Amino acid sequence: MSMARLSTFGRWLSCGLLLAGTGIFSRPARGVPRQITLSEELLTLPGELGKQGGRLVVSLRAEPKTLNPLTAADAPSREVILGAMQADLIHINRATQLTESALAKSWRVSADGLQYTLKLRKGLRFSDGQPVDADDVLFTLRVYLDENVHATQRDQFIVGGKPIAVRKVDAQTLVFQLAKTYGAGERLFDGLAILPRHLLEKPYNDGKLAQTWTLATPPNQWAGLGPFRLKEYVAGQKLVLERNPYYWKQDAKGSRLPYLDELVFLFVPNADAQVLRFQSGETDLISRLGAENFSVLSRQQSGYTMSDAGPGLEYNFLFFNLNEPGEKTPPDLARKMKWFREVKFRQAISAAIDRGAIVRLVYQGRGAALWGPVTPGNHRWGNSAIPRPVRSLEKARALLKEAGFTWTTGPNGEPALVDTDIKPVEFSILASSTNADRTKMATLIQDDLKQLGMRVQIAPMEFRSLIDRVTQTREYEACVLGLVSFDADPTPEMNVWLSSGGTHLWNPSQTHPATAWEAEIDKLMEQQLAAPSFEPRKKSFDRVQELLAENQPMIFLASPDILAGAKNSMGNFHPAVLEPYVLWNVEQLYFKDAPGNSRP
Amino acid sequence: MRYFLRRLMQGAFLLIGVSILTFLFSTLAPGNYFDEMRLNPQISQETVAALRAQYQLDRPLPVRYGRWVNALLHGDMGFSFAYNSPVAPLLWVRARNTLLLTVTATLIAWALALPLGIWSATTSGRLPDRAISGATAALLVIPDLVLAIGVLILAVRSGWFPTGGMASAAVEGLSPVQKLRDLAWHMELPVLALVLSALPTLVRHVRAAVAEVLDAPFLRAAASHGIPRRTLLYRYALRAAANPLISLFGFSVGTLLSGSLLVEVVMSWPGLGPLLLEAIFARDLFVVIGGVLCSTVFLVTGNFLADVLIYWADPRIRSRVNA
Amino acid sequence: MMQRRGWKRWLVALAVLHGIIGCAGFFAPYDPAEQDRERPYLPPMRIHIVDTTGHFHFRPFFYAVHLRDGSFDQFEESTDQIVPLQFLVSGARYRLLGLVPSRIHFFGAPASRIYLLGSDAYGRDQLSRILYGGQISLLAGLLGAGLTLFFGVLIGATAGFYGGWKDGLLMRVAELFMTLPWLYLLLALRAFLPLSVSPLRAFFLIIAVIGVVGWARPARLVRGVVLSAKERDYVRAARGFGAKDGYLLRRHILPETSSVILTQATILVPQFVLAEMTLSFLGLGVPEPVPTWGSLLASLQQYSVLVSYWWMYLPALAIVPFFLGYLGLASALQQDAGIEKIEKATSGVR
Repeated sequence: MSMARLSTFGRWLSCGLLLAGTGIFSRPARGVPRQITLSEELLTLPGELGKQGGRLVVSLRAEPKTLNPLTAADAPSREVILGAMQADLIHINRATQLTESALAKSWRVSADGLQYTLKLRKGLRFSDGQPVDADDVLFTLRVYLDENVHATQRDQFIVGGKPIAVRKVDAQTLVFQLAKTYGAGERLFDGLAILPRHLLEKPYNDGKLAQTWTLATPPNQWAGLGPFRLKEYVAGQKLVLERNPYYWKQDAKGSRLPYLDELVFLFVPNADAQVLRFQSGETDLISRLGAENFSVLSRQQSGYTMSDAGPGLEYNFLFFNLNEPGEKTPPDLARKMKWFREVKFRQAISAAIDRGAIVRLVYQGRGAALWGPVTPGNHRWGNSAIPRPVRSLEKARALLKEAGFTWTTGPNGEPALVDTDIKPVEFSILASSTNADRTKMATLIQDDLKQLGMRVQIAPMEFRSLIDRVTQTREYEACVLGLVSFDADPTPEMNVWLSSGGTHLWNPSQTHPATAWEAEIDKLMEQQLAAPSFEPRKKSFDRVQELLAENQPMIFLASPDILAGAKNSMGNFHPAVLEPYVLWNVEQLYFKDAPGNSRP
Repeated sequence: MRYFLRRLMQGAFLLIGVSILTFLFSTLAPGNYFDEMRLNPQISQETVAALRAQYQLDRPLPVRYGRWVNALLHGDMGFSFAYNSPVAPLLWVRARNTLLLTVTATLIAWALALPLGIWSATTSGRLPDRAISGATAALLVIPDLVLAIGVLILAVRSGWFPTGGMASAAVEGLSPVQKLRDLAWHMELPVLALVLSALPTLVRHVRAAVAEVLDAPFLRAAASHGIPRRTLLYRYALRAAANPLISLFGFSVGTLLSGSLLVEVVMSWPGLGPLLLEAIFARDLFVVIGGVLCSTVFLVTGNFLADVLIYWADPRIRSRVNA
Repeated sequence: MMQRRGWKRWLVALAVLHGIIGCAGFFAPYDPAEQDRERPYLPPMRIHIVDTTGHFHFRPFFYAVHLRDGSFDQFEESTDQIVPLQFLVSGARYRLLGLVPSRIHFFGAPASRIYLLGSDAYGRDQLSRILYGGQISLLAGLLGAGLTLFFGVLIGATAGFYGGWKDGLLMRVAELFMTLPWLYLLLALRAFLPLSVSPLRAFFLIIAVIGVVGWARPARLVRGVVLSAKERDYVRAARGFGAKDGYLLRRHILPETSSVILTQATILVPQFVLAEMTLSFLGLGVPEPVPTWGSLLASLQQYSVLVSYWWMYLPALAIVPFFLGYLGLASALQQDAGIEKIEKATSGVR
């Protein structure tokens, strides 16, 4: 009753005032004042102005497992939490791949690169209306770093072997102290969700923090700083988020973002079913598309537009088992590992692989061939000087001959490659059976290598069994795998390149670098970490790329394009090559046919 | 009565056996839930080890089993690594959705299979029999997965059906009756796929069982006494052919929770199927064990039901059991 | 009387079909793993007798095809390049029936590759893959179904015939087998197999394990029939006359189960052929590039293939005659069994 009367009154008033040329009042939305108070320092986003209202429906391949940013380890949870529900102090812009201010209005780095002074925006509020101050940030760091919480991102905030120390200067100012210089340290803050102390301190003190904020959390017990807040969760079906009325961004005209009223994630466990749902108009956006489904959707476009954002940051590669053979290593494998350690053997294989065919047949041309870990989608870090030779079987044969391999005639009269002991060169390639793309790559490689006289078998294996083999038992010969960088910067991938790293896949967690070139990569990676500015860092990482290309511990294959689609009525739709590919600017997405400012 | 008590005891033993073996298999399968983190360069190996230790995945098998049984006796089915929450509520919500689907489909499948199978048996070798045999053969040949996807494509092309899920996105604003209609509309396709995949086996078994008894002297005698054909078939023949069919029915009941996995995954029906499949691949141990135990409970119930029904339907067994 | 010869007709038909598959090397124009990267997803080629200028050719021919510029899967015929079809040509090496080495193929075209049933994602000849794929799949189907039925009948008959605690125990074990999450066991099994085991051997091992493990369902059905069969009057009578258990089982009880067994067999053989679809999803099937019907059908699970490349359905059509053959054989046998029984019964009255 009173609401209705108030809004009639408001309309009357605003009509009158509009005539007068001022617009102090706007219509109330769900009882929350929409006008922006002077004490709020909202971030103004450039770009196309949108219309308020509407519900965006997207599908997720799996249900998110939790709404707790501390324990979220699976991709869907991270996409939902970090993409739409939470916010960080400093953010990496997914389009420009550069850092920009977020909850922190500004930051300053000390000359030695060890001290980061961040100033919070004034007037920040959590989605339940409670104000944010420096204590929330202190609390957040404390719980992320607490060993008993087992936060999945904990290791990220341990720099130089010591946790980052935080000090509060005043209610808006914080000083972060690093134990060691860390290249582009401000990128650390991306993905660090600031948590509400008023809701989580009690469970934390009770030691129950990891079990809070499950999917069953009532919406009033949950609060974040992202553009959307929790509205409803229906097990196995959907997660409904609603507009956060306290969000801290506005558009160029000064209206508070996000434009959308609701964001609905439907759980559709099958990639093809996602395509069907998009095609039938039940979902408004689609991303993470394979090339096949992309071309099906492109062929029958009606009411939606497909877009190819170019190669993403995923790099697929073949690698051999370069571990030190131990007592437990089967003799057969130990014998083969001698070939794998031969650089010329790896170079020959790299020369024999037809990367063009991989891009054409696996990605239908929607991808890029790779000769290094930095994909064309990464704007700043690629080394354009590393060689990109075309496929050459002659070169491969010459390299093998130099390494002492010879050819005999096989049982069916075909040429067969043999090593110095006249043993035939045969090995198996592991490939994840749930990833059709990589199995396809392995099939093509097998055929490529057959022409060198190698007998290659493909051993498809379910993903976790495969990881177990590569990182734990280490009983495998070769493997096709892919990694997706979260960030364009090389620092988050330190553990892939450092010989001591757990993700140094070809020979993980070494106590001492096994080879001279691995030792050099270790040194270069530490150098790029410690360097204060971009140029010297780039120089170090360029050299790392050269060393990788020379020694081929990973034989880089190809990178797929980021493929997405949206209804034609979707405004501000600009897929990026960084995750989350389409929802990174969810606060600016809008429907062109939305009712406008009149809310139901 | 002692007969049934004994059957119940056997069911309990079955549950214990299943739980032990499931536990054992899960340790034999390589990898564990926290393995995927090993591929994340930003998580150190120590953190992964600490997580494993926290969930006691590094303890020996008997210790873990003992703890789990102990918890189960206190009404706790364990903890999901992925969801960070107890297993029981996770399973319960989805089991409800699965049952809604499978009970409907099973009832429809049996309601169709009985008359079709009997018709096929009575017209043995003639046109209706051949047509039914041909149709069931064709359905048998089509893999369930292709069947489900085919039905889904039908939905898209025709635009008459939703392309999966259990409710429309805008279901909140509807009245209860409209909600029910929306639910029924979403159920049509998955039920169709389930019925089509179950029907051929059922029809063939009904046909085989009925054909077996049709030549029996007592039926010929009954027919010559002028008992109407319909009564003859549905009251006498069906009853005489009941034993294998009741076993099969028990089996249908037993697979209520587990039989619709593929269809649920393809149609994104929020049932146990997608949850369990994901849990198996993610090695979310207690979710899998909980799911398997629930299906076992159903199987035990189904068999028990079959025993009760056979006992009730077949006087020969009744007399032997009581003797 | 006519119907009694029915099963023979089915048997002959099946024998012919299996013969063709057995000689896959001869009928297939190419090696099933040979890739043609310029022609992925090529639709079946058209065979012509009249060329574009209206000339009639005595020997059937086809036009060479090439990829349309800038396209992934659109092809056009080069009408200036006529490639005649030839029979009994020399081509890829193979072993006839796995024994006799040979290079002679039923048909082929030396000048250019011919794709009668189109090509797959790697430009491999579908026809060759279907023919070769049958060899592994049929073997797997027969082996798996045979093992399952053998153990099923053995255990089911024992349980039903002897009853008592043996019955109770066996049926509880059967229930146990039916409920266990075999996915786990299969994953574990793959982990224990060394990678150097040839993938084909690993696959047959897994089929054998599934076959052995699958006994529970037929066993329960057989048991049900045996239970009621042993209460039949003539069985009781025979027992009264002092017939031994073995004799009773062989002469009177197992024949009663034949219809259930045959019904099961007709279902099991196709099921085992198709089981490979699921197995390949778990990484337990026969890996690329070896073709099997299961893996050929597996590509149909993809929506994009289903709507874009109709010739990928053809493997499914190729399988149909085999499955129908098995089903037909089974129902013919079943009818015969029925007729025999009636004759037995009537002759007994007489």
